Amino acid sequence: MNWRALILISAVSAIVTLQACHDKGGIAKTDPLLKAYDVELDANDPQRVIPLNYQQAQGKRVFSNTCVWCHAEATPAGPSNRSNVTPTPPLFTDGETLNPLSDEFLQNTITLGGEAMGKSTMMPPWGQTLRQDEIRALVAYIRAVAQPPYQPAARPASQYPVK
Amino acid sequence: MTAEEMGKVSRRLRVSFAIASVAFVAVLAVSPVKDYFEEWKRYEKDYVRFAQTRPDTKHLLADFHTGIDQIWLPDMKVVDRCTTCHQGITQASLADSSVPQPFRAHPVIPHAAKEWGCAVCHRGQGPATEVAEAHETTLAWEQPILPTKYIQASCGSCHRGDIPQTPQLNRGRQLLSELNCAGCHRMQGIERPAMLGPDLTNVGNKVTREWIYKWLKEPHVVVDASGNTVVDGYETEEEPRMPQFRLSDQEITALSAYLSSLKSHPFEAYKFDPRVVADLATKPDLAELGQERFRQMFCTTCHSLAVTRGDETKLIGGYIGPELTKVASKVNPDWLTTWLRDPQSYLTHALMPRYQWSDEDLYKVTQYINQKLADPDLLSSVPQLETPTPEDIEFGQRLFQEKGCGSCHVIEGVSPQKDFGPDLSSLGGKNVSQLEFGSANIPRNIVAYIQAKITDPLSVNTAARMPQYRLTSADLDAITTALLSMTGNPSTSGLERLIVPQPRAEFRTAGAFGAVYERYKCYVCHRFNGFGGDLAPDLSFEGSRSQRQWTIDFLKNPQTLRPTLTFRMPQFNMSDQEAATIADYLGMVSQSQFVSVAGENLKQFGSEKAVMGKQLYEVKYQCQNCHTIGSSGGYVGPNLSNAGNWLNAAWIEQWLKNPQALVPGAIEPHRTFTDAEVEALTAYVLTLKQSGQPKATTAAAAAGGAQ
Repeated sequence: MNWRALILISAVSAIVTLQACHDKGGIAKTDPLLKAYDVELDANDPQRVIPLNYQQAQGKRVFSNTCVWCHAEATPAGPSNRSNVTPTPPLFTDGETLNPLSDEFLQNTITLGGEAMGKSTMMPPWGQTLRQDEIRALVAYIRAVAQPPYQPAARPASQYPVK
Repeated sequence: MTAEEMGKVSRRLRVSFAIASVAFVAVLAVSPVKDYFEEWKRYEKDYVRFAQTRPDTKHLLADFHTGIDQIWLPDMKVVDRCTTCHQGITQASLADSSVPQPFRAHPVIPHAAKEWGCAVCHRGQGPATEVAEAHETTLAWEQPILPTKYIQASCGSCHRGDIPQTPQLNRGRQLLSELNCAGCHRMQGIERPAMLGPDLTNVGNKVTREWIYKWLKEPHVVVDASGNTVVDGYETEEEPRMPQFRLSDQEITALSAYLSSLKSHPFEAYKFDPRVVADLATKPDLAELGQERFRQMFCTTCHSLAVTRGDETKLIGGYIGPELTKVASKVNPDWLTTWLRDPQSYLTHALMPRYQWSDEDLYKVTQYINQKLADPDLLSSVPQLETPTPEDIEFGQRLFQEKGCGSCHVIEGVSPQKDFGPDLSSLGGKNVSQLEFGSANIPRNIVAYIQAKITDPLSVNTAARMPQYRLTSADLDAITTALLSMTGNPSTSGLERLIVPQPRAEFRTAGAFGAVYERYKCYVCHRFNGFGGDLAPDLSFEGSRSQRQWTIDFLKNPQTLRPTLTFRMPQFNMSDQEAATIADYLGMVSQSQFVSVAGENLKQFGSEKAVMGKQLYEVKYQCQNCHTIGSSGGYVGPNLSNAGNWLNAAWIEQWLKNPQALVPGAIEPHRTFTDAEVEALTAYVLTLKQSGQPKATTAAAAAGGAQ
């Protein structure tokens, strides 16, 4: 009688353990890149893949509709309009030029145009064409693809107004 | 009982009482101890410790409170406790990817978590307070977390139409419709078009039995660019819509016998004018002349041809019509001529416009196709096929039904099949226990299930009739996303209210314009009031934009306005009468509410205005950076060399004030010009005219031309 009970108990526990292991096997392994919303190849190093979060991916979408014409070497239509513009607009991946500029400065330059911020008059104001969240997304995208990589300031400013 | 005995008993009693008390306290303590070691409490403590390492500790901790945090939305039946551990999701300073999970901020999305909850999009078990229970499939809950890669599926559950924020989902929906999945499956938001595969009632008149054999055996090779397997049709952008079915040689022989016997409506071969033929047939460069005409007519806007440059063979051209590199080895030459003259007489739903052909053009082009777009070796690998026997034909007819060919192809007299494959309209919301995994050795989740069903249908069900698709991994993910978005009808009225339905539009007209519109199939490329293709400009407001005479001239000889465009409007050889009908109709109907052409066009612009406008154009706003005039300028915007003959004054004014009001998503920045600047720029643009262009007839252009 005891033997029978022992066998029964061990069989049940074996089944439960196996079942548990089986369930564990069912969870798909996650590739960190697959967790990204969207990815982009580095313009200078095609081996490097840059994962983009939601906001950066939205920035990429706005960029490739509006900005790509003058701020990239290649456009959806083929050649770039960059060479027609003087002074030559910086490439969107140009970290050396764009990294030292603050997020607020970039957002203002896009919103109000180059002239208002003491930059090239060739940069038109986009504040009425693009929404503010689209402009913030654009800056987030530019930061993600910058070469050399963008390092945010060590101590981010408080997001709350000073009382 | 003696006193001694009494003492004994009481001692025994006392011991057992003590043991019982300890046991009782221990049992009582189980619950608080268990509670103390709850998983979520550990995360809360970790969060407090983490917040102390951040520069904005004070603000982070001000928003923090201990205990289970819950988002409760009764009308959506949302009870989400995810924020108990995911403390930082609304803290903008924790957005950086270096912040460890579960504390990282949620990326900024249009919907706030407090109003929607988390599980609505991410799935998983909202009320759970343990990591495994919340994220994974458990006995009590069968919806695990949706991998972030497919998160756009959740957008699609409510947004039934395409939105620009979800490119992966849009691509998936596009593929489901392009690959004709609607032929066999019912799906949410994917309409079954009038024609999926071609009508085969007369296919025996069009192609040979050998060609049908080859096509059924290896469709991707027949449409292949080079005629052999150098380019795999599936790997180019232009995937053939006919997938590869798993058919044995014997089955293919029978099907080809049946299909090639379908010749119930013979066509009459077109008789060319013998003088035209006599004149052209002797020309040694006849094929080259035909090729030139083929190019001039911009056939490649819809059809692609294989072009070999160096070692690389590529398909160049559009994807609306079939690829034509070897078409002469496929179709009967007499059929080709009849088709070009009137495609709808063979196939009622054909998208090909009915061109206005002169005998000369038709002869040249057909000769070019027959001589140059052919490959005598195309069918060399096909075995010798005898005249079809009645048994073969009967077997083929049965196979046509059994294999589901009738789901996409119509044959007169053969009853169509409905719902041949399983209904997929609520597949995305299915629980794991509702899926038949069969013997497939794959993880037990819906993503793995969908992908196995598409990439290797036999692994899940050995009797599957689903054909073989070869998709790139990006396309497979896109299709998976689109299928996951089909979660059926919403479970709560709160969710039902949130559904953004797919916009539906139909633009059909009667009368003279309706006839021309149908004849030239304008809607295949152009969009009218939300209906039609997106290859060419939206014509909903074309009447406000363009002058009548310019429209007529453009239709007669379309030259491109944007030099960088690859696809151009074909030359239909339309008559003056047809061009005038279109221009009049657009002028009457395709008007924007923001532009009053009639009033504004009478405005007189003085010549000093135009001079001022030129200054503004060239110096202050430097429009030449994007627009070309003559031979210099940028090419982001359209060429303005002939804008004075092309555009209406009222349109230019409104465009300068707010371009996106006229064309949503236009690249032109919306700037703040003063009214005087708008008038000056308009006056200048109206003076831009190219010599050799016919004089415009509208009042505004006349005024502009007078300067």
